[in-house]
Amino acid sequence: MPDTPSARPVTGDELARVATTSQRQTPAERLLEVLGPVGRFHDPQELGDFGMPARAFMEDYLEPFAKAGPHSRLGPLEKVHAFWFAGMSCDGCTVSVTGAQAPSIESLLLGAHPGIPRVILHHPVVNLESGPNYLRAHEAAVQGELDAPYVIILEGSISDETKALETGGYWSGQGEEPWGPDGSLRTVSTDEWVARLAPGAAASIAIGTCATWGGVPAAHGNPTGAMSLMDFLGKDYRSVLGVPVVNVPGCAPVGDNFTETVAAILYFLQGFGPLPEFDELGRPAWLFGETVHRHCVRGAYYEEGDFAHDFGEKECLVEIGCWGPVVNCNITSRGAINHAGGCMNAGGACIGCTMPGFPDKFAPFYKPAPGSSVSTLVASSVGRIIRPLRMYTNEHLNREVRWDLDKETPTAWARERAEPGPLREAGHKVYDVLRRKGDRGKNGGAEWGKRPEPAEVGDPALEPEVPQQTKPKDGSD
Amino acid sequence: MCFKNLPIEFDASGQARLKGGIADPYSFSVSRPEVGMTDAERETQINALIARNGHVKDLNMDPVTRVAGALAVNVTADLDSGTYLDARSQATLFRGYEVIAMGRDPRDAIFITSRACGVCGGVHAHASAYAIEMAMGLAPPPLATVVRNMQEAAEMGYDNPLHLYLLAGPDYSEIVVKAVNPELWPLAEKWLCPGEKQHGFKTMADLMSALNPLTGELYREGLEFTRLSREMFVILAGKYPHPQTVCPGGVSSTITLQTLNEYHSKLGRIFDYAQRLLAVWDDIPEFFYEADERYTKVGSRPVNLIDSGFWDDPYAYDATYANCSEWGDRRWSTPGVVIDGKLVTTRLTDINIGWEEFVEHSYYEEWAGDRYETDELGNPLSPHHQWNKRTLPKPTGRSWKDKYSWATSPRWDRHTVEAGAYARLFTTAMAQRRPPSDLIESTGTSLKLLIPKGLTAERAVEWTIPEHWNAFERNRGRAYHYVFSQLVGFENLLEAYKLFRSGERRVSAVPPSELDKHIPTDERRSVGWWGAGRGWLSHHLVMEGGKIANYQILTPSTINASPRDPWDQPGPYEEAVMNTPIIEDVSDPSKFTSIDMLRTIRSFDPCMPCTTHVDTGHGTIVREVNTCACGAD
Repeated sequence: MPDTPSARPVTGDELARVATTSQRQTPAERLLEVLGPVGRFHDPQELGDFGMPARAFMEDYLEPFAKAGPHSRLGPLEKVHAFWFAGMSCDGCTVSVTGAQAPSIESLLLGAHPGIPRVILHHPVVNLESGPNYLRAHEAAVQGELDAPYVIILEGSISDETKALETGGYWSGQGEEPWGPDGSLRTVSTDEWVARLAPGAAASIAIGTCATWGGVPAAHGNPTGAMSLMDFLGKDYRSVLGVPVVNVPGCAPVGDNFTETVAAILYFLQGFGPLPEFDELGRPAWLFGETVHRHCVRGAYYEEGDFAHDFGEKECLVEIGCWGPVVNCNITSRGAINHAGGCMNAGGACIGCTMPGFPDKFAPFYKPAPGSSVSTLVASSVGRIIRPLRMYTNEHLNREVRWDLDKETPTAWARERAEPGPLREAGHKVYDVLRRKGDRGKNGGAEWGKRPEPAEVGDPALEPEVPQQTKPKDGSD
Repeated sequence: MCFKNLPIEFDASGQARLKGGIADPYSFSVSRPEVGMTDAERETQINALIARNGHVKDLNMDPVTRVAGALAVNVTADLDSGTYLDARSQATLFRGYEVIAMGRDPRDAIFITSRACGVCGGVHAHASAYAIEMAMGLAPPPLATVVRNMQEAAEMGYDNPLHLYLLAGPDYSEIVVKAVNPELWPLAEKWLCPGEKQHGFKTMADLMSALNPLTGELYREGLEFTRLSREMFVILAGKYPHPQTVCPGGVSSTITLQTLNEYHSKLGRIFDYAQRLLAVWDDIPEFFYEADERYTKVGSRPVNLIDSGFWDDPYAYDATYANCSEWGDRRWSTPGVVIDGKLVTTRLTDINIGWEEFVEHSYYEEWAGDRYETDELGNPLSPHHQWNKRTLPKPTGRSWKDKYSWATSPRWDRHTVEAGAYARLFTTAMAQRRPPSDLIESTGTSLKLLIPKGLTAERAVEWTIPEHWNAFERNRGRAYHYVFSQLVGFENLLEAYKLFRSGERRVSAVPPSELDKHIPTDERRSVGWWGAGRGWLSHHLVMEGGKIANYQILTPSTINASPRDPWDQPGPYEEAVMNTPIIEDVSDPSKFTSIDMLRTIRSFDPCMPCTTHVDTGHGTIVREVNTCACGAD
């Protein structure tokens, strides 16, 4: 059983030579320069059925189920390959995508989502085939011989493999190819696959905060030189369709944010969807254009200056370390899965996991953001005025008109507050007068269609005067 | 309790101590392995066989798909004798989470280390919280522990079906069985399923068709139920896989009656589904054993299992190391170690001090010196124990003799032990520590579970310690674990209602503004023992000067995917593959798919993202085999 070095150790000279040009090169170009071109590939004959328990590729097995006729397809594309790479990833993005329902992963793969091409997914967690046979389509794409356009999807950060090559190893391997000295097999890093396939891709999509912005593997003190897909491919990168890297961040992202973005791109390519709008960092603008605070279910507590100070409390979480007001995300409105959950919805303070500054610019956690002291002070001051006014009106709206007339609420439930006294009642009257200002229902003239009858219950705003009968008051007004 | 290999004995009071008269008690040297041949002998033999014979294949399956994360397995297969002569499990990814955690504020640990794994992110967040709160001395109030248990039951509710139907299931599906075991298909068409009443499939062939990837009913239903359980998780924890509400000393979840009611309303559907899931994975092994007895050997290895226990008693757990064996015993699932089918201990201190981690065959450098000779109770620790271990990555070329994996080799009492959700069934059934409830009862040899009525009538089921330990029983055990975990979720929900009735609503030990004050400035050691969908999980921590000085994560798949240890003992995947007969028809060698190996590997539910860290002790030594001389326990 031969030992197979993962890669030829790189000499100091070679690295020095590459380093001198590295100013102009992207990390991807630098890696490919170190590794050199490739020409040999696995011999399918030699591989036989190894790692093919169904003796069929996933694509071939699913084709009869997934292939749509031209009338269901709505556009020029019949199929698209999607190469999913897990770089320095936790597989959490994959897991999120398995939870997506708008659209779901199975509807994309089975062509059960009307109008879009069938997606041929090459995913290490999903596919039937393993080992070198799993990589056959990858090889075809490297050689430019794939039978349909492809996109690459990266989950997890890119590592700095040149660093690992210095000692002859790798950080993140996916498969082996005969690309070693004299055609020997060597481990191919995820980075290398991405570097070789990105230029020919119809689109390069980064999913999750590791791939979009480096994320936790790129946090302070990391040993691997981890970086994002944008960092790796550089600012001049364009896919064959002229698109820069598309970024769907989140740690882990909302699964629907990803599948919906993919679907939106496919709708556009099929010619029936609008051009999806991306922001200046390549995020889907319709999903990440707002701060998560703007749709937060606790946002109104902030508005009223009402803040939680202990874990588990129901109010706004800003003072216990929530960064929501300055974070682009949609989880509070979309929920985490199937519209359930969402960080602040459940009591979790936002730690900015969708942001390029995550995690280092948000740490240490459970500690209020420095800027929040100013904004919460302002909110508390304004809230001190707004909140009592709202409570006052709320009290009035919690009474039937009949109860106003009767001066009594016939509830058997324990009632915390006394019936409103004359002062509060007068205020409610004024409120009602203001409310009905301009109400055309007050206009004179007969209602021809009905018989004039005394109203059973008067509208207090229309009553000429306050009824004479008064109840004993406790004077709490 | 006694250690067989480590030089530890117990005094009359049960306190562990090093045996006297051993100059260098934890030293070891590479010696002949206990299983089969040495590495060198095996390699010589294999090379000779390959040279002489066309029927011996040396193949590297990289990547192994339908596992979480990056795994490759190199096998040497003798197609004539139908055996795997050798197997090498390789974790092919390193990200350095432990290294990143070190030097940080302890408040960062939970959210940073949660990201170690996205297949089971919830369990890492919890393990980290346990470690942090032990170091900070923060004991969660009862409702916090109850909510954690509910979250973690829901996480198992997602995790187990994900594995059974998306990852392992296709290997037993119609399209695979017809392709690689065509002789089984006619049998499957005739074989009437004993579980038809529960799962609705008349014959095994019907059932196998439903397992087909994406197109099969069971596959898609499994996916749906992972979503339902994740909904239960996120209403408590905000999001999945990385929860947003786990904090030191409790949870930050806002628990209202609506939260509990929503969780409750989803459980009814879960119980209906549990009956179906169980019946499917009860029928599959029976069919295969009946069709060909050799299937009892697929993935077999000795019954050496370890688990840290799972789901705490809210009234016993006090976040101290000193009392860990007491509160550990009160867990819904009992901590324990099973060696050769015998439960040797349930005490968390014994379990803790038995661990060592080696990097002989891993891409890490040895570390020099050990920081601690004992734990805080005076129990001896190996220089290779997690509290003494450092993470020093060094990527180098692959060599079977030297380094070939990013996983380390954790060993307990120098035994190769296996982690798994099913380990909980063994330890809980054998230990009988948890008092029987209406729903869960351990008998010493089995675990009796009562699935409450949903749309389906209630049903009593029983998991019995299996006669064979193999790939099929791992999957069956996982199915029973699904039921077990959902019953734990239900019992904890009822506990939450009870706490609500008594007006108890506190979910954390201290408010966030006071966390800072509780960060110790002196040196502290701690450990969070928790469980993952695939078994054992621990986070070991050293805090010094108010920050994290060392952080060591021991995951189930590190244990299971481990490469050879210094004594040349293979890791659990490797050993199980080498014990697996090649049953598929290989009369035409080009038709060799290695399905029997794949069924073996996948039965462990590999989860590689969090597998990769660590490192070990110097050089190689001779293993001291100590005869047990301890009296206590």
